[in-house]
Amino acid sequence: MSYTVDDIEKMVEPARVHRKVYTDEEIFALEMQRVWGRTWIFAGHASEVAKPGDYKTFNIGQQAMIMVRDRDSNSIGVFYNRCSHKGAKLVGDGSGCAKAFRCPYHAWTFKTDGTLLATPPTKTKASTGFEPGDPAYNLVAAAQVDNYRGFVFVNLDANAPAMQPFFGDSLSSIDNMVDRSPESELEIAGGVLRYRHDCNWKSFVENLNDNMHPMATHQAAIEACQGYANDLPEGSPVPETVSILGPFGSSYDFFDEMSHVVFPNGHSYSGNSVSIHSAYPPVPDYVAAMESAHGEDKTRDIFSCARHNTLYYPSLTIKGAIQSIRVIRPISVNCTDIETYTFRLKGAPDEMLQRTLLYSRLINSPSSIVGSDDLEVYQRVQAGLQGMGNDWVSLERQQGNDVEHEDGSTTGMGSSELPFRNQYKYWLQWMTDTQPLKIKA
Amino acid sequence: MSNFQRPGLKKIETFLYRESGYLDNMQLRQWIDMFTASGDYWMPVSVDQQDPINHISIFYDDRDLMEIRLRHLDNPRSHSKDFSIRSSHVLANICIDEFNEVNGDCTVSCNFQCIMYSRDQQEIFAGRCNYQLVMQDGHYMIQRKRVDLINCDAPHGSIQSYV
Repeated sequence: MSYTVDDIEKMVEPARVHRKVYTDEEIFALEMQRVWGRTWIFAGHASEVAKPGDYKTFNIGQQAMIMVRDRDSNSIGVFYNRCSHKGAKLVGDGSGCAKAFRCPYHAWTFKTDGTLLATPPTKTKASTGFEPGDPAYNLVAAAQVDNYRGFVFVNLDANAPAMQPFFGDSLSSIDNMVDRSPESELEIAGGVLRYRHDCNWKSFVENLNDNMHPMATHQAAIEACQGYANDLPEGSPVPETVSILGPFGSSYDFFDEMSHVVFPNGHSYSGNSVSIHSAYPPVPDYVAAMESAHGEDKTRDIFSCARHNTLYYPSLTIKGAIQSIRVIRPISVNCTDIETYTFRLKGAPDEMLQRTLLYSRLINSPSSIVGSDDLEVYQRVQAGLQGMGNDWVSLERQQGNDVEHEDGSTTGMGSSELPFRNQYKYWLQWMTDTQPLKIKA
Repeated sequence: MSNFQRPGLKKIETFLYRESGYLDNMQLRQWIDMFTASGDYWMPVSVDQQDPINHISIFYDDRDLMEIRLRHLDNPRSHSKDFSIRSSHVLANICIDEFNEVNGDCTVSCNFQCIMYSRDQQEIFAGRCNYQLVMQDGHYMIQRKRVDLINCDAPHGSIQSYV
């Protein structure tokens, strides 16, 4: 069947969504056009393409893309990864440094700014059939590319609003993560984890600000960790593993206090001054480096902000206090890759990156006792929602207690399902907008 | 002066079969006890990865984390482990790479194929294992088991137990 605007409107109520939103292949295909095609999608971090000619490939749904730092202008561009001749994917998946991009099929070669450079053996109209220099034969650039403090985002629709207004005040979480570097600069370091999730991308995205699941989903991990810590001989130092896993076992009251802040276009964070990341033991050399760079007052301000996940809907979630990010790469209606990247805070001691990596390995690795229990429930959601007995998913918790503010944000208690309601409000706006994407700027 | 004799391949083979047998039979208590107090289990995410501390890994478990993982597995509310996890290791190409005749320590390696089964799904893991073995009270203990999957850098679903 083919969904009309009316059909889609019937799938999303203010606090309930229809199960097909997670399970229907046609909805997924529409989402890739209408949501992922016109929102700002995370391409990568500028430090991944630090030198002229550096590139990496990534996907926005089915759209294969290349992010590249141009050799001449030194600016970062994003192009569709498709040769303008017969359509072959120009660059194999991965990253590297290129003088130019040469298609493996007929050796058409493109400069790192996307310009067609060569069409062997000769670049004449007689041999190719088009005027040399005709821009229609250059690589097609993504409609919009922008960079916020090193975070490169791309938008496939030239009609979409600019990046900064799209993200609004949620960008303060990126500010806080960058400010945690004594040199106010981040660098991706320590490799990438890729974790395949057999579930719809939205199950993962919603869970990021689901403060009511740890005590159930992670009960076993919490008990395992607490039980082990309790059985250690008295006076034993607390293993770092325990100090990271332990806070997942915080009480309902604690998580309720980790209130939600949501923004227009689906973005949100939970936990501001209080979160499961606020009580890590300080690293003295790091605190000293920060105080010498920023002064004591500003350093205290920076550290007092210990937000949990901040979601840049729909493709990126960051943990500023941990310096790790996860990138959501939907593959199909029931398959999503989650990529975890970690950052070095420039000017900070190595211990900081080491803690980031420890956290990431404990929580975000395919081997994680936390991540595997999360994925288990997403898989069960995917299976359960096939059931015809009940078409509706409830997002109603604390619905009456949301507070709207003049600055456009809305706040709710930590136990609220406000972030999900907010996501679907905008999801519905995009999904019912039938205007085609404007592909070229 | 040499205090120790180089172990025969048979002795090493028997040790490795016991180690992978504990994994295949989910006897994780016995498996953990094969490690020294400062021992670790490492599964890198990159080919030829040099460093488990300054680079991310799929697994890098010290004894603390092994014990926590064991308790998680045994907990009735570890829902991802609701289904029995079974594995079958086949080891081959076993080599003794280094031997220290002063203290008896040695480094051995082998190829492996491990089929892991859980909830109607079989997964294949394959690659090469490297073991740093130390001699303690006349027995070998594992200081480090390193597992290099041939597809270490591919996207993986949940890896439910040690390979």
